Amino acid sequence: MGKKKKRPSKVWCYYCDREFDDEKILVQHQKAKHFKCHVCHKKLSTAGGMAIHVLQVHKETVTKVPNAKPDRESTDIEIFGMQGIPPEVLAAHYGEDEEASAKVAKVEVPPNIPVSGVVPGPLGVGFPPAPTYGAVPPVYNTALPMQPPSWPVPPRAQSWYPPQPPIPVPPAPRVLPPQPLFPIQNVTPLTSTAAPGLQSSFQVGPPGLPSSTPPSVSQPLFPITSTSNAPAQSSPFLASTLPATVASSSPTVYKGAADMNSISNTPATSGYPAQSNQGGAPYTNSHMYASGPNTGGPSIGPPPVISNKAPATQPATNEVYLVWDDEAMSMEERRMSLQKYQVHDETSQMNSIDAAIDRRISESRLAGRMAF
Amino acid sequence: MANLSGLNTGVANPNPNKSFEVLPAPSDSVSSLSFSPKANYLVATSWDNQVRCWEILPGSSQPKASISHDFPVLCSTWKDDGTTVFSGGCDKLVKMWPLMSGGQPTQVAAHDAPIKEMAWIQQMNLLVTGSWDKTLRYWDTRQAQPVHTQQLPERCYALTVLYPLMVVGTADRHLIIYNLQSPQTEFKRITSPLKYQTRCLAAFPDQQGFLVGSIEGRVGVHHLDDSQQSKNFTFKCHREGNEIYSVNSLNFHPVHHTFATAGSDGAFNFWDKDSKQRLKAMARCPYPIPCSTFNNDGSIFAYAVCYDWSKGAENHNPATAKTYIYLHSPLESEVKGKPRIGTGGRK
Repeated sequence: MGKKKKRPSKVWCYYCDREFDDEKILVQHQKAKHFKCHVCHKKLSTAGGMAIHVLQVHKETVTKVPNAKPDRESTDIEIFGMQGIPPEVLAAHYGEDEEASAKVAKVEVPPNIPVSGVVPGPLGVGFPPAPTYGAVPPVYNTALPMQPPSWPVPPRAQSWYPPQPPIPVPPAPRVLPPQPLFPIQNVTPLTSTAAPGLQSSFQVGPPGLPSSTPPSVSQPLFPITSTSNAPAQSSPFLASTLPATVASSSPTVYKGAADMNSISNTPATSGYPAQSNQGGAPYTNSHMYASGPNTGGPSIGPPPVISNKAPATQPATNEVYLVWDDEAMSMEERRMSLQKYQVHDETSQMNSIDAAIDRRISESRLAGRMAF
Repeated sequence: MANLSGLNTGVANPNPNKSFEVLPAPSDSVSSLSFSPKANYLVATSWDNQVRCWEILPGSSQPKASISHDFPVLCSTWKDDGTTVFSGGCDKLVKMWPLMSGGQPTQVAAHDAPIKEMAWIQQMNLLVTGSWDKTLRYWDTRQAQPVHTQQLPERCYALTVLYPLMVVGTADRHLIIYNLQSPQTEFKRITSPLKYQTRCLAAFPDQQGFLVGSIEGRVGVHHLDDSQQSKNFTFKCHREGNEIYSVNSLNFHPVHHTFATAGSDGAFNFWDKDSKQRLKAMARCPYPIPCSTFNNDGSIFAYAVCYDWSKGAENHNPATAKTYIYLHSPLESEVKGKPRIGTGGRK
């Protein structure tokens, strides 16, 4: 997958210590699990915001963050994604995390060490140091079949190896292309694993892992083999099914955010450092902005620019998320609650909708106009 | 590439499929589209409180008439004789509009909450309406009271009727199947095979089952008969990169019995459930497609391109939001079923 190393460890949730590959998924997890109003299921963007919403709208006091560990329940600490975590907690978490990841990395090393001495042998093809390891390409070939059982692990292993960082520099432009190219690249890299040059290795890398799984695709999906004959038509279809396929074979790797989506793909670290840059900025924006939008009405002027779902800042990771993820309400109900009220808060309760409509009707009747 | 252009919403071509544009477009999002069963008259209901009718002629569209409600209109349906249109929505009532004779609309139904879905049942001469007040009501248009009120477990989100099969999808993923020959009893109540909120339903033309679409970019093909359960399957669609879009509309082609899906990603696709293939993937439009429909002979596929609220209120800018209604003439290759490919089918 991505050659660059992710952050020192994966992102994790302050409230429940769950880990995620992607900050965006972390934010969604927090919104769904910790910042969700228990009364109306509205998802806020921070714990403090949720507490204020519950107080103002439902007249209840919230003292604890839902689903949080006992010593992380305070609503006073302003957490958003990975921001706001007190340094001592951060350090404590990473202290544990490094041990775990280091162990994992070492597990990956032995098979490759005898040949090249560098763990990311499979993905070492095309790395600047690669040419110095003549044995790398054959390792890649043989390592491929070994990967499927343990493919979720390699990305972690990669992240610990220095050769990775130089690679991330170019990926910024590469962030977009791999997505639509996924299915097409899949076919070729498998056969030309010793492809020289950074470019092809990028495409080899990310699909390198999922590409090992297509043979195991047994989902009752519309046939992928047929679509490979018509790549242009099917590429978006394929791009989305492959990550899903991969993820379905390793559900345990993707801890948390299970409530959000059952499909996720952990190994795809492509574009990660680029994503962290992108992820940082919009998250900050939406954070500052977000105390408004969920609670705000149409008075918010420039909403389209900043999106809470942050889909515009499309990181090229394979973690998937639902564009509409509110299970408790339909899009029309949400829209309806907004259009009619122009109130500061959106609620989805029907009796509120009814009450407001009734109020309007009675007002217009009083004004001498019959509504109907 | 269509994919890349789709990423630049608002700037991209709103009509990448070169479909025929129906003008004038509503001023707010379209909530439903329906064609007359007898002729090429298209009715669109919108969040701008209007119900509009166009006559669709080869190469042109003529606006014919419109009525208004006091609140956004969510659903519409034609009577089987093609003379009358029913429309209902957030004003919690249904208006019957005999537009072909130039008549005025009259109220024929009422609920306690917005009416989300409706259908005309020709064989019973009744209108059935589903609402967020958790009831299904059957109306004889000559009476003010419903002929029958059916309780639903939750708010009605989707409805499909093909006599005698009726399937109702509600919140919390309930799917209730009715045999309209005895509408008071639920024939079967199941939980949706999809793990996420039900968004749309479509009954098979042969009434052996139905399609169900969810907010998670997935469509389920479900057969009613227990003996055919092995033919059930689900498939993923309307996903782009790592975004999963809602499937907003499912429509069967009246002749070929293939079907179309339209989603919040702004794309619509044609599928063949029997050979389990996608027949055609159309180019993505820059806005979601909240609703779509075929005309009576399948020669026209109408779809609306406008914001469906899939990304919440934050992504709606009333000043720049655009609404389009397009008509696509499907080619035979796009909607005609194909034999199953591969030897013995894909396994």
